[in-house]
Parts: sequence; structure tokens; C-alpha cells
Amino acid sequence: MLKKKGVLRELYTNRILFLMLVPTLLYFLINNYLPMIGIYYAFVQFDFNTSLFQMDFVGLKNFEFLWKSGKLTELTINTVGYNVAFILLVNFLSIAVAVLLSEVKGKWFKKITQSALFLPYFVSFVILSVIVFNLFNYEQGVLNTVLQQLGGEPVDVYSKPKLWIVFIILFFLWKNFGYSMVIYLASITGISEEYYEAAKIDGANIFERAWHITVPMLKNTFAILLLFALGSIMKGQFDLFYQMVGNNGLLFSTTDILDTYVYRSLRVTFDMGMATAAGVYQSIFGFTLIMVVNTIIRKINKDYALF
Amino acid sequence: MLGKSKKAAGIMLSSVLLLSTMAACSSNGNNNGNAATNNPSPTEAATEGGEKTGIDTSKKVELQFYMLGNAPKDLPKVEAEINKMALEDLNATVKFNFTTWTDWDQKYKLLLSTGQDVDLIFTAEWTQYQQYAKKGAFLDLEPLLPTAAPALNSFVPKDMWDAVRIDGKIYTVPATYKEYVTNGFVWREDLRKKYDLPTPVNIETFEAYMEGIKQNEPSMQPLALGGAIDQTLSDSYLDFERKIVGPMPYGVFATYQKPGEVTAYWGSPEHLEDLKRFKSWADKGYFSKNELNEKDTNQDKLTNGTAAAMIGDNPTRYNNTMSQMKSLHPDWELGYTPYGRTNGYATPVHPIHNGFAVPKSSDNAERALAFYEKLVTDKRYNLLTQYGFEGTNYTVEDGHYKMVGDANTNGFPREGMQGWAWRNPEFMLFEPSYDGVKAIFDELDKIQVPDIYTGFAEDYTEYQAERAALEQVEKQYLFPLMAGQVADVEAGLNTFMEKAKQAGLEKIQEGYKKQWLAYLTEAGIQ
Repeated sequence: MLKKKGVLRELYTNRILFLMLVPTLLYFLINNYLPMIGIYYAFVQFDFNTSLFQMDFVGLKNFEFLWKSGKLTELTINTVGYNVAFILLVNFLSIAVAVLLSEVKGKWFKKITQSALFLPYFVSFVILSVIVFNLFNYEQGVLNTVLQQLGGEPVDVYSKPKLWIVFIILFFLWKNFGYSMVIYLASITGISEEYYEAAKIDGANIFERAWHITVPMLKNTFAILLLFALGSIMKGQFDLFYQMVGNNGLLFSTTDILDTYVYRSLRVTFDMGMATAAGVYQSIFGFTLIMVVNTIIRKINKDYALF
Repeated sequence: MLGKSKKAAGIMLSSVLLLSTMAACSSNGNNNGNAATNNPSPTEAATEGGEKTGIDTSKKVELQFYMLGNAPKDLPKVEAEINKMALEDLNATVKFNFTTWTDWDQKYKLLLSTGQDVDLIFTAEWTQYQQYAKKGAFLDLEPLLPTAAPALNSFVPKDMWDAVRIDGKIYTVPATYKEYVTNGFVWREDLRKKYDLPTPVNIETFEAYMEGIKQNEPSMQPLALGGAIDQTLSDSYLDFERKIVGPMPYGVFATYQKPGEVTAYWGSPEHLEDLKRFKSWADKGYFSKNELNEKDTNQDKLTNGTAAAMIGDNPTRYNNTMSQMKSLHPDWELGYTPYGRTNGYATPVHPIHNGFAVPKSSDNAERALAFYEKLVTDKRYNLLTQYGFEGTNYTVEDGHYKMVGDANTNGFPREGMQGWAWRNPEFMLFEPSYDGVKAIFDELDKIQVPDIYTGFAEDYTEYQAERAALEQVEKQYLFPLMAGQVADVEAGLNTFMEKAKQAGLEKIQEGYKKQWLAYLTEAGIQ
């Protein structure tokens, strides 16, 4: 920890270490901080003829389209809601599966399960959307064909917005939970065997060992993954939502998130200002959220906080 | 991989900040660059006078050429050959870049607004040429043409140069090939004959045909529409049945005969009537309940036999669909009725429809134009970039184009680079099946009237926030209505109108109407 008086001294004593930090600092400065100048695009009327700072300043006019349609609240709720569900469910599921897998002794079974769960991560949402359409298509879909074979009534899945909340979450889980499960599995491997042996001697059974040793040891990983995920809570899974829903307005009320809204609104408009405005809104929201959550975590346990 | 390009679109908005700074940095540089390239041209031409191209080619440059769509497999070979010639003629090489069709509109937008290194880029009314030009994305070509591309300057007729003018300036080099991209009904002629159905010439006969297909081929979808239902259904329908002057946005309506009488179509009794008709089609099962989520193209659905008609397609594409279908199912047939046959008028393609522009940010505007001149007027360049290598990619038989191998094995199919804009009617090679298109064109030639819509350049700066908001409202409330998926059409239309008005529909329509009328006066139309 740096004390106020000792900054220069600190710099001097650890000069080699600080020197080693310079490339990283430069990297962040160039790639992450310099581009922030572009935020100014959100406040000007874009013009091909002049440079950024000579364009007309228009205040918040570029942000207008976000609330003009009266959908900003709905969009924000959808975006945040889906992300919260994604974060919680993915973490819960992957911790559970990781704990189970870590207790499995059969090497082959473990490897195959792990790979099978990880595989969907590499499937593109474009491909998934085609599969889904072939499943749920009203006239020729697998679901309706089977239903009709069994003598049931066909269901028009694509006109039931509520159903898609479940679908979207399921698809996301199917695709992504394998990935974070591998992370948890890795941190479980990092837990020292001694704890388990000690617990075994004290007579703890397999469930007690998992519950009292493995799960608490994963808290740290969970906190970090959670904070990382929260930072991008306003950035929806564009591919997922856009591919699944596309132009089907019937489903927008439950499936439209900020990213898809901005894409649809500005697809044919080339205005940099409005696109940047949407990005700024997302960033500010995400920034506020991560600050709040980090402060809360700090209050609870300083070690788990990100900074 | 597909995922990769999708991902690119996904991160587009989040990376907009990064890109915008790059634009900020480079647009400074570009302005200087433009000033430097714009000014010296007359002086240089004056001093060098006798020089073949009239421009300074002492410094070797690489031109960045941007086209939409996918690159053909053999592009590197063609590019190498072109570069050999270009290096000799113009001391320049060219890099042919393609956007692919995935999210081309996003990429196009970024190419132009981030000040990237682009020297030549495709333009069309469907890539918003008029709006980009009005906003100043392209370079005024008029001062450069006489010196940089004199042959091209005289090759393109004066009335075409005039037709692409936006605010009095020429921003794009139009294609000179005359064609019709007007719509017509497309249907399965073999099935029509088999079940003795009427030939579709208007909506009533088209309906009767669809009903006949539904009765006789229950597993077939009578009509293919796809997700872009505003274009495939509404625009075509308005074009044919209500004789709209062009695909006007925001529910603004004017007929071709009386373009000055502008009314609001959305929310009108006519709109309700049309939506009810679409609903009845959906109810009768003429198209899928999930048309909005459809992934296949309409043409593919016809080719593979899952659908039996399209309400509107242009003659050239109809012909391509038929050739493709015939290669898979030789005994199937496609029929075509151009709307013009029934309505008595047809508009030949507007010169804006295919063109190439030089963006403001280009540092090599003169060389770019000189190269483009070669592409259009030099037979070696033109044939190579349109058809590939003679012998390897194609052969000429009785004056007709013949592909070597088939579409899968051939690395450069006909017009494989989407070279619509630099087609030169003098060099063009056609497949024998083109005779069918030619016959339609000849028929339409007899009833041709000028296109008065495409020359209009809308400036939506005044209402861009409302416009973006409306875009969403349209998708959410109007698309399901058009697809016949709202049980109560009247109530659905009321909801849509209410939401659209909230988004600022009236302001948009007012602004659009004002500009449209001003354009009509200026262009001297009625």
C-alpha cells in the first residue's frame, strides 16, 4: 500500500518493478483510455466534412431516440433482467456441476462429460437459430410434427413472448455454462487435499466435505466472475437475441434488449452520434452498477472485492 | 466462420468508441489529404498536358476497392493479373475488398463514417447513396473527371451524369447498362398448367392461383415472403395494386401518376383493407405463421420446391431462379408477369441503381477514377473482372457466355465480383437463358416511363431521433400485422398508429413530404 508521503520513494525503491509495468500502462492508455475521446461523438451532429471537435454540439439530442419510443425502461429492465438471470443461473449450475464432477473418480467419464458440456460453447448462435427454427416452426417444425403424430394440437411457439424468456435463458445456459464450469473445476483442483483428509479423519461424509470445504473455497472465484459479469450487464448477448428473434415483432416485448433495439433503430441510419450515445448510456449504467456492487462486497469482505 | 462475422456485428456497438477515435484521428488527416489532392489536379494537368492520363502517376499507390457481397474463390488470381496491368498503365495496384452479405449495411456505414482508407466504393439507392451524398460522404467527381478519366467522362451519357446529381453535384459513376429491376409475379408454371389455374396477372388471379396450390399441393407453401416482409409483401403490393411512385418510407404515399398528391397511407382505410387482405392470406395458409423468422431466401424456397410463388421479383432474378431450378429439377417451370403488363407502365433502372463513388477520405481520388475508367472502358480489365479468365472460368460459344464446370467448381462465376456497376454494354456476355430476360425488357421498353422516385435525396437530420424510434415501432407493431399474426387487425392497426404517433410519426411525415414536394418542383415534375 502506498502512503501519501512515500510515493516518490516508493517509485524509486521499486523502480525496476514499475518499469516493468510501463508497457501494460501504455497498452491500457492507448487502447482503453485514448478511445474515450470518442465519447464526444455522442454530443455532436455527425458530419463527414469536419473533424470531431468542429462538429456542431447538439447536447443530448443524440440520446433522444432512446426514450422517444417510450421503451427505455422496458429495454433496461429486459437487459438487466436477462443478465441477472444468466449470471445467477450460470454460476449456480456450473458450481453444482463442477463440485459433482470433481468428486467423480472415473477418469474417462469425467473427461467425456466435461468435453460434452464445453462443446456447445463453440456453436455459433447463427447455427443454433437455424436449429431452433426447425424445432419450433409452426408448419414443419419437429415439435409440431411430433405433437400432431400424438394427436395433439400444434403450438405456435413464435407468437408466445413469455415462453421465450425461458427459451433464451435455456439457450444461453446450454451454450455458456460449460465454460465457467471449467473455471470452477480448475479452482477446485487448486484446493489443497489436506483439508479433505483432515475432514475425512473427523468423520465428514462426501456431502459435508463438498458443502463445508469446496463451496466456501469457491467464493473468491465466484466474486471475481460476478464482478466481471456485472461490468457488462448492460451489454446484452446481441447474437443470441438477434438470431433467435430477428424481425418477429410479436416477441419484442419480452426479448428486446438495448443492443438489439439500437441495432434495429440504427441499421439503416449511419449516424455515429446516436450509436455512440447508446454506447455511452450502456457504459455509464454498467460503470455505476459495478461500483455499487463492488462497494457492497467490500463492506462484506474486503478480500473478495475487485479493488 | 459464420460465428465470427456475427460476433463482429455484436461487438460493433460496444467498439464504437474505439472506432470513433480512429475516425477522429484520421479525419483530421483526411481533410488535409483532400485539400492536397483536390487542388493540384488542374495545375498538374496543365503542366503535364501531353501526359496520357492527365494525372500525376509518379508515385506508386495501392487503391482500396470496396464491393458488397462475397468474393469469388479465384479473386486473388484475377487481382494479380489486374495489378500487373494497372501497375504498367497507372503505376497503381488495387486491393479488392468484399464486405460479405452478413451485416453489409453496418460495415458499409462504418467504412464511410470512420474515415477508413477507401478509394472506391459501391453505391446504390439501396445503400442510401442519396443520403450519404447529401451528408457529404463522397467526393465531388465533376472537377476530376475530365483530367483523371476523360474516356469514362464521355462514355457515360450526359443525361445519366445528370441523373445521379445530388444537390447539383456528381458523386458517383453510374452504370450505363439499361435494365429493368421492376417487379413481377413469379409462380410455378408447371403446377399452374397441371391444375389448370389462372395465370397471375393481378391480385385476384394471383389469389386464385395460391388457392389452387393450397388445394392441390397441401404440403407446399403457396407464397414465399421471408422476414423482410415490408419489402417482399407491402412494397410489392403497393407498387402493383396502389401504383405507388416508389418504396416511400414512413407510410407516406403518392401515386406515380400524381406524385404531388401526398397522403398518409398508414392508418388509412386503404391500409386497413390491405392488412385485412394479408391476414386472410395468412389465415388460409398461403404463407407460414412464422414467416418473420424464416431463414431461407424466397428464391431458394422456390428452387427447392417448398414454396410456389413470389408476389414480386425483378426479371433478371426471376431468370436466375429459373436457371437454378432447372439445373436441379429440369421438368419444373417458372412463370413471370411483369407488373407493367397489367399496369401499363414500367420504369427502367435509375442510373443511381449501380455506381461507384470515391469517399471524401480517399487520398488517391484521381488514380481511383483513372483505374475505374480502365475497369469500365478497357476490355481486358472489364472481361477479367466480370467473367474471370477465358478458358479457365468461362468460354464464349456463339457469342454467348458459357461457364466452365458448375457453380460449385468454378472459382469465378459470371459477374462473380458483383460487378454490376462497371458493366459495359459493349463487352457484356450473356448466357443463352438471358434471351428470356431480353424479351421481358423489350416488352417493357414499349411502355417505359422515367423513374421519378430514385433521384430524390432525403435529409433526415431534422427528425433522426424520431426516425430511429419509428424503425422499432414499425418492426414491433406493423410487421406482425403484415404477417397476419394479429387476430384483430383494426385494433392492431390502432395500437401501431398510437405508438407510431408517440414516436413522432407526424413530424417525420411532415418533414418528408416537404422535402419530396420541394424535390418535385426542383426536378420540374408536375
